[in-house]
Amino acid sequence: MLHYLLTLAIFFAFFAVEAWGLNLQFGLTGILDFTYITFVAIGAYFAGVAAMTPSTNGGMGGSYIFGWQLPFPLSPVIGGIAAAMLGVVVGIIGLRRLRSDYLAIVTVSVGQIVWMVIGNATPLFNGWDGIVGVPQPYNSVMNLSTNNYEWPFLGISVIVAAIIFWLVRSLTESPYGRILRAIREDENVAAALGKNVFRYRMSAFVIGAFIAGISGALQIEYIGAWNPSGWTTLETFIVWAAMLVGGRGNNRGMLLGAFLVPVLFTEATRWITIPAHPLLMEAIRGMAIGLLMVLAVRFRPQGVIPERKRVFPLTTIPGLKEDVANGHTAQG
Amino acid sequence: MAIPLRDNMLVVKDLRKSFGGVKAVDGVSFDVPRGTITGLIGPNGAGKSTVVNSLSGFHGVDGGSVMFDGTDITNWPSHKVAQRGLIRTFQLARELRSLTVFENMLLASNDQPGQTSWQALFLRKKIRDSERDLLGKAVDLLKRFNLFHVRDEYAGNLSGGQKKLLDLARALMADPRLMLLDEPMAGVNPTLAGQLQEHIRDLKDEKGITFLLIEHNLRIVESLCNHVVVMAEGTILAEGNMSALRENENVVRAYLGG
Amino acid sequence: MTLSLIWMGIGFGLITASVLALGAVGLTLQFGVTNFVNFAYGEFLTIGAYLAFVFNKGLNMNIWLSMLIAGVLTAVVAYLFNVWVIQPFIKRKSQMIILLVVTIGMDLFLMNFVQAIFGPEFKQYQDPAGSILHIGPFLFTLQQIIIILIAAAAMVSLHVLLKYTKLGKAMRALSDNAELALISGIPTMRVTNYAWLLSGFLGGLAGVVLAINVNNFTPALGSEFLFVIFAAVIMGGIGRPYGAMLGALVIGLAMEVSATFMDSAYKTVVAFGILVIMLLFRPQGILPSRGRV
Ligand SMILES: Nc1ncnc2c1ncn2[C@@H]1O[C@H](COP(=O)(O)OP(=O)(O)OP(=O)(O)O)[C@@H](O)[C@H]1O
Ligand SMILES: [Mg+2]
Repeated sequence: MLHYLLTLAIFFAFFAVEAWGLNLQFGLTGILDFTYITFVAIGAYFAGVAAMTPSTNGGMGGSYIFGWQLPFPLSPVIGGIAAAMLGVVVGIIGLRRLRSDYLAIVTVSVGQIVWMVIGNATPLFNGWDGIVGVPQPYNSVMNLSTNNYEWPFLGISVIVAAIIFWLVRSLTESPYGRILRAIREDENVAAALGKNVFRYRMSAFVIGAFIAGISGALQIEYIGAWNPSGWTTLETFIVWAAMLVGGRGNNRGMLLGAFLVPVLFTEATRWITIPAHPLLMEAIRGMAIGLLMVLAVRFRPQGVIPERKRVFPLTTIPGLKEDVANGHTAQG
Repeated sequence: MAIPLRDNMLVVKDLRKSFGGVKAVDGVSFDVPRGTITGLIGPNGAGKSTVVNSLSGFHGVDGGSVMFDGTDITNWPSHKVAQRGLIRTFQLARELRSLTVFENMLLASNDQPGQTSWQALFLRKKIRDSERDLLGKAVDLLKRFNLFHVRDEYAGNLSGGQKKLLDLARALMADPRLMLLDEPMAGVNPTLAGQLQEHIRDLKDEKGITFLLIEHNLRIVESLCNHVVVMAEGTILAEGNMSALRENENVVRAYLGG
Repeated sequence: MTLSLIWMGIGFGLITASVLALGAVGLTLQFGVTNFVNFAYGEFLTIGAYLAFVFNKGLNMNIWLSMLIAGVLTAVVAYLFNVWVIQPFIKRKSQMIILLVVTIGMDLFLMNFVQAIFGPEFKQYQDPAGSILHIGPFLFTLQQIIIILIAAAAMVSLHVLLKYTKLGKAMRALSDNAELALISGIPTMRVTNYAWLLSGFLGGLAGVVLAINVNNFTPALGSEFLFVIFAAVIMGGIGRPYGAMLGALVIGLAMEVSATFMDSAYKTVVAFGILVIMLLFRPQGILPSRGRV
C-alpha cells in the first residue's frame, strides 16, 4: 500500500510538471499545442539515451543513438533541451501567422510524423520496441531495490517539481507573464502596444516544451523504458483536461488538476474492468476525457481554481498615501 | 515651385490597400505636421480606419509609402511601429478582458525590466521598483480619465465608454510621439467627451504629442484641428481648415451635405 | 521498368487524390463559412466508414449504396455537431481558441465512441474489388475507377452548386467577407447549417472511399488521415474549395509517386513536408491571392 501511494505521489509530480508547461503555453499565452505529449516523449527519449550505456547495435538492448552515460541532473537537461529544440522547429513553422489554428494544425501533424518516424527509424530509439534499461539516478551507488528506491526518487521528483514551479511562477507574475496574458486575450492589441507577438509566443511555447521534456525525462528515469505505445493522443488530452479542470492560467490550479484528472480519475478507472471486453474501458476513458474537456470549457471555463486577480495595494505607490488616508480612492 | 518648409511627423504617399475587390484605400497622400492635431474625416466606409490600420502596421499595404519622423516605416510590423512611438487606438475599443485596468496600463510601457523571460526570472527586485514607478504614472492617467475608481476591476467589466477611455489612457502609458485616434469619443457620454477634448489639447500642448484624429462630429473636429483631411471612397477629397472645407463643393456634396 | 513503376504510382496517386479531394473540400467548405478549423473532422470520415460498414456487412447492402446512406447520415451528424456542440459556444462569443479546444475534445470523444461500439480491431467491407482493367498506362480495379468517378462527380456537382445556385453564391459571399454578407441580407445561420451538412456528407463519403482504399480500418482511420487533409487544404489556401481540389491532386500524386522510390511507410512524411513548405513560404496557398489570410 505504501509502495502504491509512493508511486502515485511520484506520478503526481510528473503530471504537475506537465500541466505547468502546458499552462504556460495555453493557459497563459493561448497557444494550442495538440501534441504536448510528443514533447514529453522527446524529452524522455533523449534523456534516456543520454543516460544509457552505448548501444550494442542489435544486441540485447537494441539500437539507439548517444549512450553518453551522463549522470542525473545532466540527462534530464538534455531531454529538456531536445524537446525545446523541437519546440523551436514547430514554432518557426506554425507561429509566424497570427491565426492560432495554423500552429494547432502543425502540432497535430508533427505529432503523427514524429511518432511514425521514431517507430520506423529503428537506429534512433530502437523503433516500435523502444528503449529499455535506462539507469535510475544514482542507484548504481545506492544499490537500492526497486521498492526502496522510491523514497529517494520521490525526493528527486519533488525537488524538480519545486524548481519548475518557481520557474513558471516567476514567469507568470512578471511583466513577461502579463504580456503573455495580453497576447492570449488579443494579440493585435499587444502588437499595437509594441510587443513582438511572435517572439513572445515562441518563447512561451519553447519554455513549455522544455518543461514537457523535463517531465518526460523524469518519467523515463523512473520507469526505465519508453516506447511509442506509451505516448498516444489520449496522453496529450489527459494533460489538457487536467489544465482545463484545474483552472487555466493558475499554477496552483495545475496541482489540483494534475491530482483530479491523471491521478484520481485514471487511477480510479484502472480498477474497473469489463471482462468480456478488455479494451472497452480504454475507449470509455477516452470518451470521458474528451467530454471532460468540452464540458469544462462549457460550464466552468475558468476551471476549479480560476486565474488569480492581480490587485495592486495603493500603499505601495509613492505619493498616494495621503489620498488613501483622505478617502479619495472611492471618488469617481 | 518651392516646397513649403514644414516639419512633418508623418508623411503618407500614395497609400493603397484593397480587400479582395474592394479598394478600401486607393492612392492616399497627406501629411501630419509635428505638434498638431490633424483631423481625418469622411463618410462611413471612406477608408479612414484602413488608413490607420495601414500606418500602424496592422496589415500590409499594396502600395505607397509611410514616413514617420524621418523613417520609412512602410510595411513595418505593428510592434516595431509602436516601439518607435507611433501608437494607435481602436475604433471599437479592444480591452484585454482578463487583465485589470491597472494591468492594462502597466502592460503598455515598453521600457520596463522583466519583459523577457530571463529578466522575469533574475531581475525581480528591479521589476518591483520599476513597477512602483509605473503604477504612479498609471494613477495619474487613470485619475485624468476618470478611471481611478475602477483600477482593480477587470477591463472586461467596464462600460463601453470606460473601455474607450482605457484604450486612450493605456496608449498614453506607452509614451507616444504620434497618436492615431480612431473615433475616440464615439460611445463616450457628452460630458466626458468634452473633457476628453480638453485632455487631447493638453497632451498636445504639455507633452508635444502629435495627433491624427478620426472623428465624425465636425464640431469637435473644428474646435480641435486646424488641419483636416477629407476622405471619400478610398481617396482624398480635400485638405485644409474646417471653414475652408465647408465652402468646398465636393466636400459638401460627398460628406457634409449627407 | 521504372517507368511502369512511376505510372503505377501515378495511378495510385489519382485514387488517393480522389479520396483526399472529397475530404479536403468538405473541411475547407466549412472553414470558409465558419472561419475556424474543425479538428473533429477526421471523425466524420471514421463515422462514415463505420456506418457504411453497418449497412454493407450487417445488412448486406451494396457498398456504394451503403456509402451513399452513410454520407447522408454523417451529414446529419455534422449538422447536429454544429447545433448541439458548436453553437452554444458561438452564442456565448467564445474565443476561437476555445472553439478549437472543443473540436479537438469532441474528436477524442467521437473516436473513442466509435471504438467503444465497434472495438479496436480491423474491419473490412465485403465487396468484390472487381476485375482489373487496363486504361491507358494504368491498371485499375473496377472499384478504384468508381472511386475516381465518384470524386469527379462530386467535384463537378460542387462546382455547379457554388457557381450557379443561390446557396453556393451565399456560401462564397460568406467566406469572402462575413460582415458584408451579413449586411447584404444573406441568412448566415441557414447557410452555415448547409455548410455543415455538406461538410459531413463529403467527409462521410471520403471516409468510406478511404476505408475501401486502405482495405481494412480501425477507429483511428479518420484522425490519422486528418493531417494529410490539412496538407491539401493549406496547399490550396484554407477556405477555398477549388484550391483544396488542386491541393488534393498534388498531395495525392506526390505521396504515391514518392512511395515508388522509397519506403512507403514514409509517404505521409511527403505530405507533411509539403505542408511545412507551404506554411513557411506561401501560407495563403498556391492559388493567386484573393487578399485574405
Ligand atoms: N479587413 C477587411 N476585410 C475586408 N474589407 C474591409 C476590411 N476592412 C475594411 N474593409 C472595407 O474597406 C472599406 C473601408 O473601410 P474602413 O473601415 O476603412 O472605413 P471607415 O472610413 O473607417 O468607415 P467608418 O466611418 O464606418 O469607420 C469598407 O468598404 C470596408 O468594408
Ligand atoms: Mg472606421
